[in-house]
Amino acid sequence: MNKKLLLIISVLMVFTMIFTACQKADTKTPSEEDTIKIGWIGGLTGDFAPWGTCESNAANLIAEQTNANGGILGKKVEIISYDTRGDATESVNAVKRLITQDKVIAILGPNTSGPAMSIASVLNEHKVPDIATVATNPKVTVQDDGTVNPYNFRICFIDPYQGAVAAGYAVDRLGYTKGAVLYDVSSDASEAFSQYFQETFIEKGGEIVAVEGFKGGDVDFRPQLSKIKEANPEVILFPYNYKDVALSANQARELGITATLMGGDGWPSEVLMEMAGDAVEGSFIVNHLDIADPIVKEFTDQYVEKYNIKPEINAYLVHDAFKLLEAAIIDANSFDTVKITESLTKVSVEGLTGTIKLSEEDHNPIGKQAAIQEIVNKEYVFKERYSPY
Amino acid sequence: MNVFLQQVVNGLSIGSIYALMSVGYSLVYSIMNFSNFAHGGVIMIGAYLGYFCLTQLGVPFILAIIMTAIGAGLLAVSIEKIVYSPLRKRNAPSLYFLISAMGASIFLENMVIASPIGPTFRSYPAIFSTTPIMIGNTALSRIDLLMFIISLISLILLIFIIEKTKVGLSIRATAFSIKGSKLMGVNVDKVIFIIFLLGGLLAGIAGMLFGMKYTVYPQMGEITTKSFIAAVFGGLGSLPGAVIGSILLGLIETMSSAYISSQYRDLIAFTLLIFILIVKPTGLMGKSTEDKA
Repeated sequence: MNKKLLLIISVLMVFTMIFTACQKADTKTPSEEDTIKIGWIGGLTGDFAPWGTCESNAANLIAEQTNANGGILGKKVEIISYDTRGDATESVNAVKRLITQDKVIAILGPNTSGPAMSIASVLNEHKVPDIATVATNPKVTVQDDGTVNPYNFRICFIDPYQGAVAAGYAVDRLGYTKGAVLYDVSSDASEAFSQYFQETFIEKGGEIVAVEGFKGGDVDFRPQLSKIKEANPEVILFPYNYKDVALSANQARELGITATLMGGDGWPSEVLMEMAGDAVEGSFIVNHLDIADPIVKEFTDQYVEKYNIKPEINAYLVHDAFKLLEAAIIDANSFDTVKITESLTKVSVEGLTGTIKLSEEDHNPIGKQAAIQEIVNKEYVFKERYSPY
Repeated sequence: MNVFLQQVVNGLSIGSIYALMSVGYSLVYSIMNFSNFAHGGVIMIGAYLGYFCLTQLGVPFILAIIMTAIGAGLLAVSIEKIVYSPLRKRNAPSLYFLISAMGASIFLENMVIASPIGPTFRSYPAIFSTTPIMIGNTALSRIDLLMFIISLISLILLIFIIEKTKVGLSIRATAFSIKGSKLMGVNVDKVIFIIFLLGGLLAGIAGMLFGMKYTVYPQMGEITTKSFIAAVFGGLGSLPGAVIGSILLGLIETMSSAYISSQYRDLIAFTLLIFILIVKPTGLMGKSTEDKA
């Protein structure tokens, strides 16, 4: 039995060696001269499939468009996508394969924070940059002790940033001076969102009159809302997802609270409108972008034409990651991975999700505008692109 | 003062939901001496039954609540027949009932998730206006008023059945001693059937009201953890205890978030409960306990 197993394993290993050898031989085709390879990783199967598939599709679409316009620095672009099933170990393997076997010059994705954090050491070892798409955890680019992962970048804004945007918009654009917050004490993202909202609100000259918490899973928020009502704020932040938003918004209106409500990317959902359409009327939300924005619409149409399905928000972030990488390559005037990495924080591009310039200090977008949407007649109406700084 | 009144209203309204749910726990406990955690599952199914009666069948509200109560009652009775009855025949210890009850609860939750109904949140159509009745500065929600009245009617009916009817007499006798009442010619199987039916009827009503007030989703049975705690606090096995425990828990929760800190609400409320149980281990109105789970 053991001998059989050993035999199978050795046969497999031999095959793997032959296979990898062949792969390497394959890459040395004459076309290598005028083609550059960019990797993409993410979940194409499993829980993350809808988003991963969309990202991979979008990357291929943009590469096609770029090639039709003459490529980057005269070379054609080829996207190589590997499925990670959203798993951290798979992601590490995929990155190793992309770098050592496919010789990519940079990697786009993944779209979740866990895998994005796990690949840092491989990137550092081989000195190849990665631009994460929708990994919003601050630790993707900056470790706990404050050191920056030198080859990890990201294109989306981080969780706390939404709070700053919401507060800035409330004070600067809407002219509110008295704010209140109700947040989920059991959620990191909700807590970070609410904390940065408070800080920015005060910095901008406003006053926070009430901060109340609840525990995820609660359904009754009236004790907290009654206290908030007593403090009489002009705007209340609800930094959590649509189910709790629906319940708390309905209960706030029942208690006679008329203040404007604000929230983040946890809000948009059909269910919210069904459950609390009237209660959230006139609320403002901070989102990554708005699909009704004219420059976004053009790309949406191209995507729908090619793939016959509406793109998820990820498609736009992949687009921007690609454009930033393109700009960095042109800036570096080289395909050397280290030079490209250096240029990533030097260039600035007009993306679909805002003007993108990555910070040298934390590799996150600086002052990236967020899309502000207002809920009018149960529709998300695009107001403007806004950055608090 | 106005805020205080508002918080009292909030507390009473949360407490009355707990009450409707906790009575079901106490009812089963008084006879069978175990905590029927499947009750949460029945409440959840009740909420879905009410939702589909109103949206799919389009029946009027009163009819929907009656249909829901009967449906949930039948479900509770069938859980008893399928899950508990075989254990009873084998004289299994209370702990086995408790674990089977948890199993039944997990089964019901996952059954709904796996079914075409799925895990999404659903909301009841707006039957009553959401504009509150204002008394001074205190907002009284119409659904709360309705819930309070329905809870009151159901609880009075229940207490009437138990205290004044012949069936109630046999329930009380069985609660006192199963062996003794068997010897006196009480049909214990029938009594158990009736308490599960009554508990199920209440669960259906509670589920539907809960769904109307908040929302419907497969995990909503978990909220019954609090009502179970309220039942323990009031004294498991005692119906008035369950009601009083629930109202008190609602008020304690509300007041601790209103006047101490909403972030630490559960911590404060439950520390207080633990202290009360240390002083009076049987709960506020509980009978003395032997080996129970």
